[in-house]
Amino acid sequence: MTLRTWGRLGVIVLAAVVVQVGVLNQIVVGGAHPDVFLLLAISAGLVAGPQRGAVMGFTLGLVADVFVQTPYGLSSLCYVLVAFAVGLAAGTVSARPTLGFQAAAALLGGIGGTLLFAGLGTLIDQPSVPRHQLAVVAVVVAATCVLLVNLACRLLEWTLVVAPGAHHDAGAFAGGTAR
Amino acid sequence: MATSRRNTSQRLTLVILLLASITVITVAYKGEARHAVVSVRNGAGDAVAPIQRGIAAVLHPIGNLFAGMAGYGGALGENQRLQLEVGQLRRQLVEAGQAQQQLDQLRSDQNLPFADGIPEVLGEVISSPSSNFDLTIEVDRGTSNGVGVGMPVVSGAGLVGSVISAGQHTAIVQLLTDPRSEVGVRLGTGDVAVAVGQGEGDPLQLQDVSETSLTSRGAPVVTSGLDVAAYPSGIPVGTVSSVRHTGGSLTSQVLVTPLVNLLVLQYVAVLQWFAPA
Repeated sequence: MTLRTWGRLGVIVLAAVVVQVGVLNQIVVGGAHPDVFLLLAISAGLVAGPQRGAVMGFTLGLVADVFVQTPYGLSSLCYVLVAFAVGLAAGTVSARPTLGFQAAAALLGGIGGTLLFAGLGTLIDQPSVPRHQLAVVAVVVAATCVLLVNLACRLLEWTLVVAPGAHHDAGAFAGGTAR
Repeated sequence: MATSRRNTSQRLTLVILLLASITVITVAYKGEARHAVVSVRNGAGDAVAPIQRGIAAVLHPIGNLFAGMAGYGGALGENQRLQLEVGQLRRQLVEAGQAQQQLDQLRSDQNLPFADGIPEVLGEVISSPSSNFDLTIEVDRGTSNGVGVGMPVVSGAGLVGSVISAGQHTAIVQLLTDPRSEVGVRLGTGDVAVAVGQGEGDPLQLQDVSETSLTSRGAPVVTSGLDVAAYPSGIPVGTVSSVRHTGGSLTSQVLVTPLVNLLVLQYVAVLQWFAPA
């Protein structure tokens, strides 16, 4: 990755922190709020592929965990798996993921990521939310991921200097298609 | 061949990242690293607090503008005033009920500490939980204001929770409804129990209530303040919303609805009280 790419990535992560803690945390629907870091992990899988998407997911998780009280590293573990899975799925289509594909990935990634986080938390004896509340969280997170996934993908394409249309296998982290 | 190499590389990266994540979780769970994580979190909380305050200051007027456009400006202020009044009345009701039922016990026990007279630090809630999986709020008061870990947090109606982390200018408060929250409580009948959170919007569950307990729906519940309890005694917690006697069990299933509406907190008071060692 070039210095410019790192700089842009830093800006995106900083913006994500501000948006999450300043704005999205105040938008509470049924006791749940959107998760911009999970959205970015899903988008990273779509844009950068399984391998590089997982690296981004890991990094995003480390940052996200600074602002919550859940066990440090749990978000990283979750985002790595989500980004990798989404990246693998995106790799099955030859062309750039369509809007429909992005929405489907965001929906499944949002629901799967939420349930995965709850499940992993339970494994390490972290009390989870009740089932009915978990369903609300999954729906709210997935819905906002679907709404914002295209915007997030465009931002990450700009960040990783990936030319539109040249998605994950273009070697984004290794320089990608420089513009 | 190239595809096979790429697949191997992907799997290797995945395994490394999973191991790294598990290592981080393990290392950060206990010991010195845990303290470092807490320090980083407190520092980050302090760093983003001005942003949160700024955005809240922008968002509140916008919300009020829309309310005013719809002609509800007056109703909003009236509603807030009435909510405060209802909360105070509920507290008075619980306190009166509790006092009536336990007057003799309280008079005879000179050593019971009271919440009254404990110094308070008033703070504004600047953020809801950042995660959907922990029920905490962030307030704009920290160690520089005299706030410390373990201090009880109350609002006009009663107990809100306790401080679990304090930075220099901000503090994280764990709400009563968080599944990790446990509060020693006393019922109107004199029974003592532990109130455990069950998640946002759900009532607290009382543990260790005897099957022979005479407690009933609507009975007041206050903090017990027994021994090394984390809260001083007499802080209103809630009212009993359900009592179920299950056959074959030595305990009753008792649910308590918190007095405080934890979903719409704006101002809270941190009691500068420490649990006895």
